Amino acid sequence: MSLALSVRSLEAKIGDLQILKGVDLEVPAGEVHVLMGPNGSGKSTLCHVLTGKDDYQATGAILVDGVDVSDMAVDERARAGVFQAFQYPIQIGGVLLGELMDEMAEASPDAAAFRARTAAAVETLHMEPFMDRAVNDELSGGEKKRSEMLQLAAVQPKIAVLDEIDSGLDIDAVREVAELVERLRSPELGVLLITHYSRILRYMKPDRVHVMIDGRVVKSGGIEVAEELESSGYDELRKRFGPRPVDEEDDFLADL
Amino acid sequence: MVSLKSHPPIDPTLPTWIADLQHSAAAALADLSMPSPKLEEWRYVDLGFDVGTFGMAAKGQPSSLDIPFRSEVGALAVTDGGIAELVNELPTGVSFGSVRRSGEDYVAERFGAGIPGGRDVFTAIHQAFADDGAFLHISSGTAVAEPFTLEISATQSGMISLPHLTVVVEDNAEASAIVYFTSEEDVEAVVLSQVEVTIGKNSHFKLTVVQQWGDKTRAVADVAYTMADNATGTFTEIGLGGAYSRIRFDAKLVGNGSHMEIVGAYFGDSDQVLDYRYFLDHIGVGTTSNMFLKGAVEDDAESVFTGMIRIEEGAQKANAHQTNRNLILSDGASAQSVPNLEILANDVRCGHGSTMGPLDKDQRYYLMSRGLDKAQADRLQVKGFFEEALVKVPHQQIRDELRIAINDKFVAAQSEGRV
Repeated sequence: MSLALSVRSLEAKIGDLQILKGVDLEVPAGEVHVLMGPNGSGKSTLCHVLTGKDDYQATGAILVDGVDVSDMAVDERARAGVFQAFQYPIQIGGVLLGELMDEMAEASPDAAAFRARTAAAVETLHMEPFMDRAVNDELSGGEKKRSEMLQLAAVQPKIAVLDEIDSGLDIDAVREVAELVERLRSPELGVLLITHYSRILRYMKPDRVHVMIDGRVVKSGGIEVAEELESSGYDELRKRFGPRPVDEEDDFLADL
Repeated sequence: MVSLKSHPPIDPTLPTWIADLQHSAAAALADLSMPSPKLEEWRYVDLGFDVGTFGMAAKGQPSSLDIPFRSEVGALAVTDGGIAELVNELPTGVSFGSVRRSGEDYVAERFGAGIPGGRDVFTAIHQAFADDGAFLHISSGTAVAEPFTLEISATQSGMISLPHLTVVVEDNAEASAIVYFTSEEDVEAVVLSQVEVTIGKNSHFKLTVVQQWGDKTRAVADVAYTMADNATGTFTEIGLGGAYSRIRFDAKLVGNGSHMEIVGAYFGDSDQVLDYRYFLDHIGVGTTSNMFLKGAVEDDAESVFTGMIRIEEGAQKANAHQTNRNLILSDGASAQSVPNLEILANDVRCGHGSTMGPLDKDQRYYLMSRGLDKAQADRLQVKGFFEEALVKVPHQQIRDELRIAINDKFVAAQSEGRV
């Protein structure tokens, strides 16, 4: 079994603020994994650290299909097989989606194959009207997510990291996105889907669910992990794995 | 050499309306010298040359046009001030040619009337020495869809040329023109141009300037619009070339309900100075204006934008907006952006916005996460930045040409490691 993504002892901080405190995670090729966690647990940071955003100082290993990408720049990682679907896709005024797809084709190892996949995905996702519109400009939440899924389908990465692709969507759009993820399943692709609601899981069949608390993956299991969270929330896990409550007396002394 | 202080005897063969202009401008010129950066209208720039050290160019005799887009209906070439009509199948109701050859009264009335000859040393030199110009006249009720074209070029180093264009659009008429400013690289010329536009009631005139001066040419352009009731004026400038290139633009929205639309895109490199001074005067009731300029500078280039919107006391219900956005692509480059409002009426809507900074980091991150390398991502961002202005260029025929010119300029900067 080849691993699409293997993360070992991944730590990351921004300035002096430690956000990831040792993440270990594996996503085999062909599987869809879900990463859940409360706000502030480090899920989005993990996405950006995997993508290579230089705001973070990161240590640890990130292997994509067996290749260590942790010293690579953002674009090199992308070409090595990392794709992030953004929670908030960036608006690029004056650049049409069609133009972006052309530039991505030029940057890809096989431009003709990339263009063929783009054409097919444009049709399945009904994206024709959006190709002549600016990237993520004046699109609804659902349209932006479809645009991200179009790019994902065209890129054909090794690991797709989908950062809260269900946020800001109405229930029909959530189902649509979930169905798209299921449709993209392939033996060559690993998917890491990040969410803090289990809503999207009603429409898909993840192979494994991981829970992140305070910068670490603290629990992994089948779909039942998500079901437990649905009924009991994150409180129990937070108590066990969350940051030590601030000792008020220590704090008081520190202020002196 | 031009003597700024003693004007040569006025040519007795000149029509009186040109001779009179020369007389009064020559008198004003005697008291003028190179403008000081202490004057508000010349603040922020070091002109870096003395016009008094240049001679007056002999008029050229253009025999061809060297521009990417040439009108089928009317095209003039103006080389070192010498005018040739090179394509002239003018529609009914249109005159387009040399003011001297026309001899029409309406030309005599308007020639030189839009720009005060004594405003500064450059307008004074222009009016003291110019003895011809191009004019475009559109009669009442005439509408021409295709733009007229003019290629204005300078070929003589060390010399001053004085191109002049007078546009008169009568009532209920519609027309447009594209002006190319060109010179070869290394031509150290000074070009002092004047463009004056009068737009009649319910009429629409669009002027687009494509500024591609060579890297050693210095150019000071004065442009003035005057608008009657419900007239619409459009002025677009794409500024790419020149060692120093300035546009001083004045619009007088005299007529009630008149509208002025201004679009600009400019891109400076090496040690270019691009200098824009816009003055819009809202005089009539319900007058509106919209100004939208985008500029980029790299290497040691400098740009200046100052915009003054004045709403006169009687100009109630005026609505005016100005936006200037700047990209600073290298550490040595700089931009000034100074939007101003002066409002004397009490029932108006005005707004202005100005930004400057490097390429957006989040956009770069997003594009690179799609596999684009930094150079490719930057190119796309620059394209996107200018696109917002380029889509407003009124002539679809030249938009692609401008996109290519801007992209080429940025790619050259990338390949030489300046950005």
